[in-house]
Amino acid sequence: MLSFDKKTIEQLLKLYETRKIGLEGNITKLIQTDNEDFKKYLDTCIENDNENRRKRLTITKQVQSQNTELTKAKEENERINEELKIALSQTLEAKEIAEKDLDLLQKKTQFELIGLIIKISLSIIIGVGLITTGIYLYIITIGGDTKIIESSWSNMFGILLTNSFSIIGTIMGVKYASDKIDKK
Amino acid sequence: MIDSILLVDDEDLFHLVFEDACSLLDITLSLQSVSSADEAEKMFKEWYESNKADERPECVFVDLNIIGSSFDGIELVRRINFEYGNHVIIGIISSSDEPEEQAKAVKAGAQFWIVKSDEIEPRLEEFRKDFDKYKNGKTSFKVYK
Repeated sequence: MLSFDKKTIEQLLKLYETRKIGLEGNITKLIQTDNEDFKKYLDTCIENDNENRRKRLTITKQVQSQNTELTKAKEENERINEELKIALSQTLEAKEIAEKDLDLLQKKTQFELIGLIIKISLSIIIGVGLITTGIYLYIITIGGDTKIIESSWSNMFGILLTNSFSIIGTIMGVKYASDKIDKK
Repeated sequence: MIDSILLVDDEDLFHLVFEDACSLLDITLSLQSVSSADEAEKMFKEWYESNKADERPECVFVDLNIIGSSFDGIELVRRINFEYGNHVIIGIISSSDEPEEQAKAVKAGAQFWIVKSDEIEPRLEEFRKDFDKYKNGKTSFKVYK
């Protein structure tokens, strides 16, 4: 326990009386005195200190509680952000797949169209070839003049062979590309 | 009144709450607060190695999860009890009320468990009343909630 001399006590009392500055903290609970005025002073100081502590305790608890809520809110925000990131990544992946599918579909359609044109062209060439050959054979059979039809048939056959190889090559290419798309 | 208390808790705001509650309830006039288990361990190691058992606090309150420390509160309790010669009333002060953690604390030598909440004062008041029983070894592990 602590005890102060008369002069110190008077100084402390005067300081409180004139400027309202008193002792604070747990030290006030350790001071012993027989001086009635100083006892009252100490009681006032203890009461003031307790009042200040009560206020601080209330405020600190409020801040603590708000901090806890903020921490929870922050955690919730982080969780939602994480979910959004995952959702965005999934959406981008789906978009990429859809774009690829669309591209493949367009190519497939183009290949199918080219294939159809080639088939029709080939059919026309073969048809013309067959008709020309038929007419040529018919004229030979009936013993007619074959000079015009001969050159026509020869030209036609030349064209047929040249174009047929070109068209068959194209058909093989289209077929190869179509098979690749199907596999994908 | 408890002669001296050491609080080990990473939360500075709780240091203020605990200090004010202890002062208002006249639990102790001498309170020291540290923010990490490592710091507390260092203090106990020094007291142990220099044979200054009388400088130790009479009672130690340890938080369960002390952020920024290399080990948790239960490990600190174990080290104080089994490596640095004990000589203190020691327990956990935590917002957790998990029986599993409490069982671990008992194994580590904790004598009490105070559940932290907004209303900490009634629990500390109850603990203060029981303190002499802890000193005399007349009470077993108790949870204040």
